[in-house]
Amino acid sequence: MEFNMKNLKIVGVSHPIHDAEAKVRGNAIYTGDMQFAGMQYAAMLLSPKPHALIKSIDASEALALDGVETVLHCFNTTERTFSRFQKLSRQPGIMNQERVFNRELRQIGDRVACVVAETPEIARQAVRLIKVEYEELSFTTDVHEVLKGALAGMHPEGVSFEFEREMGDKSLVAQDCVETVTHSIMDRVSHAAMEPHACVAYYNKSMDELTIWSPNQGVFGVRTMIADLFEMQYHKVRVIKTTMGGSFGAKQDWILEPVAACATLATGKPVKVVYSREQVMLNTSCRAPYIADVKSKFTRDGLLQSLDIDVILDAGAYLGNTMAYIKYQSTLVPRTYQYPYARYRGQAVCTNGTTSGGLRGWSSGELCLFVEHNLNIVARRLDIDPLELRLKNVHMPWNKEMANNISLEEIRAKECLELGREKFAWDEKKQSDADFNLKNKRYQRGVGVSCGGHLNGYFPINFDFTGVEIRFTESGSAIVNVAVHDHGCGTVQAFKMIAAETLGLPVDMVWVAEGDSAYNPFDTGCYASRSIYVIGRAVKDCCHKLQEQLLQDMACVLSMPVEDLEIVDAQVRAKNDPSTCFSYTDAVHKILFTLQKEVSAKHQYKNTTNCGVMGTHFAHVEVDTWTGMTKILDYLAVHDIGKAINPEICRAQVQGAVVMGSGIALTETMHTNPKTGKSVSSLKDYHVMNAWEAPQVQVLFIEDGLTEGPYGAKSIGEASLVPVTAAIVGAVNEALQSDFCECPLNPDKIVALMQERMKKECV
Amino acid sequence: MRLEFIVNDKKRVLEVAADKRLIDILREDLGLMGTKEGCGEGECGACTILLDGKAVHSCLLVAAQMPGRQVTTIEGLEKNGRLDPLQSAFVEEVAIQCGYCTPGMILSAKALLLENPAPTETEIRRALAGNICRCSGYTQIIRAVERAAREGGADI
Ligand code: FES
Ligand code: FES
Repeated sequence: MEFNMKNLKIVGVSHPIHDAEAKVRGNAIYTGDMQFAGMQYAAMLLSPKPHALIKSIDASEALALDGVETVLHCFNTTERTFSRFQKLSRQPGIMNQERVFNRELRQIGDRVACVVAETPEIARQAVRLIKVEYEELSFTTDVHEVLKGALAGMHPEGVSFEFEREMGDKSLVAQDCVETVTHSIMDRVSHAAMEPHACVAYYNKSMDELTIWSPNQGVFGVRTMIADLFEMQYHKVRVIKTTMGGSFGAKQDWILEPVAACATLATGKPVKVVYSREQVMLNTSCRAPYIADVKSKFTRDGLLQSLDIDVILDAGAYLGNTMAYIKYQSTLVPRTYQYPYARYRGQAVCTNGTTSGGLRGWSSGELCLFVEHNLNIVARRLDIDPLELRLKNVHMPWNKEMANNISLEEIRAKECLELGREKFAWDEKKQSDADFNLKNKRYQRGVGVSCGGHLNGYFPINFDFTGVEIRFTESGSAIVNVAVHDHGCGTVQAFKMIAAETLGLPVDMVWVAEGDSAYNPFDTGCYASRSIYVIGRAVKDCCHKLQEQLLQDMACVLSMPVEDLEIVDAQVRAKNDPSTCFSYTDAVHKILFTLQKEVSAKHQYKNTTNCGVMGTHFAHVEVDTWTGMTKILDYLAVHDIGKAINPEICRAQVQGAVVMGSGIALTETMHTNPKTGKSVSSLKDYHVMNAWEAPQVQVLFIEDGLTEGPYGAKSIGEASLVPVTAAIVGAVNEALQSDFCECPLNPDKIVALMQERMKKECV
Repeated sequence: MRLEFIVNDKKRVLEVAADKRLIDILREDLGLMGTKEGCGEGECGACTILLDGKAVHSCLLVAAQMPGRQVTTIEGLEKNGRLDPLQSAFVEEVAIQCGYCTPGMILSAKALLLENPAPTETEIRRALAGNICRCSGYTQIIRAVERAAREGGADI
């Protein structure tokens, strides 16, 4: 393992991402930029009603418009249903609840119809000419109403799903505990990836081949779902992942892909669909609103004994991924603290709100908020410093977690906390805040700390394997073929660096292909923080295999025992004879001409570990009690990253996560009006933090390089969001000596709290 | 209407509808795909271009406002095969992730540096406040602008 940290030339050195030059020139091609001869453009009509049945559609005027190719809707397209969350063939536990165009519309923004036309303008103009007769149905956006029986008939298989589990051993819980109950609420959140969803599809009728280009997180998942929906063989559907302008989980549900496929299958022409921001917000997905109750038991000296967690998640119109989401959340419960017993109960409930989906961290950030909020209140009750309370309870290296009884290996929670305490000057800040708050009435300051444990990959919840192929070209460079889907955060560059480091090549002598279901070895998709830890590891192992193959082939060419050869600095050498020395390109040519062989290697990797990943975050805030505005004065994020493959990109991701999580804590809400069923659907009302408001974020990594990941790496992209909201909310509550957890804690809520306090004081 | 204007130092003459948005003219009529649409309502800054040297949202302008004006898009920054100092600084400072905000971000920064060649961090933050980056925390972007200002010299 020592080797991991030493002698690295490329891994650990910051590099711009692979397509940075194209992006600064403006010539990186995103899906919305693609053009084909004869391309048609689709424009959508989305439901203005929260719940309705379509009685009739009259598209005659739209069809009469010059340039309109067709109008698609529920009466002329397939009645088969799909799940936007289908990732695997014969995937257990998913529900096919949606049609490409639904007849029963279950949310504002549900897909009613789509016009396919010669130009985007004509398509949009024609949409306005479609006449739809709706039969309005009763609707609700209140999960409690649904649990009482509203919307009973909306989905034949039911409108809610419940999951409960116990972990650990209840009999080990100490007697005489302090019991603390806390309640948290989170509102709907938009991923707000800057690139709106887009898809291009082309069905070549003569060849019976359908090709789909989209910025998606899993080409095989899209292929499977589309082929199943349109009853095609899997080899007839090819899905190509395009440059992705950010996902954060928004592009892991298949929504535009079935629309574009349906349109090209109907017309035999290439069709492009690009959503507007409003359509993204209303018809793709969001992070679900949550209601959560946490009951903790602590000994009086602050040792956690049990957690009892009850959550209700508003799935919106379709269950989508929510059943998997709450199950996944349960496995995260024991990944931060060591304690004897936990019970988790999750309910996913359909309403007529915007359909939810996975957002960065996949329930981990939500869980972290609920639990950390409880811990803060406990700390206050027991009069223990919040940081001390965490230090007493966080997992130590090689602890086993109780959900799946797997080892957390080199989890560095304690070190993260201690390093943060020092660098953030936790104790000093607490002291100076106390002085500041005494002297000030209007402004109040506070610090917050949070610990968020996360995962790397699916293991052991789902099977977690991937395939890689690497070949040498005749010029001595390497081509890595793997189903990676760069979300825009530099995975391709990280893979290039891993392969280059392992093979001893310069980075630009390695090319990494992205997701293409026609050529990649099978993979389950880039989710669950598995790209670096699982797929990256597979790439590294495959590089070793490639080198072994090269040595074996050269041994054959030279008629030498393979043991007498070695690879040093991208050269094949005889161990005892320095004059026998071939560069990769010479060796590859020798093998080609002598053995008539290409030097290539194939590798299938099955992940069987999931080490602990810890982020501890520290926030310092100042709340203006008059306006309710919160300013983040200082922020520190400490992560036990294992090894940062491309450090500046890792830091940039953590900083981006802090800005995102701060927005979720303070400003971002896709609030749904219960009277109309309409959610916020514009960036005018959905406030993402800009450069002016964003805090300065310090990032520290603890690197030990001791994991199964490539060069000892762990996950970071999702892990970095997990603790943020909890740290900010903790700091606000510390500043105000309040105990409320209703995200976002926007000025309205803070002012209301202050007014309530004033009223009480007056009485 | 007949629209005559200058785009990236070249005179362009087009026949377009008077209410066609500038972003659509650039992308559809002129094939300049570097200008991105993120919201279409002046909130995200992805569509930022330079209009007579000032940063503006091309999603909020229409053809009728354009005759005789000078437009610079991201494609127009590279001079004689050399990247603008801002473009190189964005690459070198690792200020690019998904890249969707990048063209608009660079053009907002360009407008700032044209007016104020040595901005403070606060001035940079204010100038970029109309451009949202969802991937980063703006740190590398701000650093890139500072670097371009420092090293760009006469090229800015
Ligand atoms: S697209 Fe113009 S500001 Fe967002
Ligand atoms: S790099 Fe993705 S939005 Fe800025």
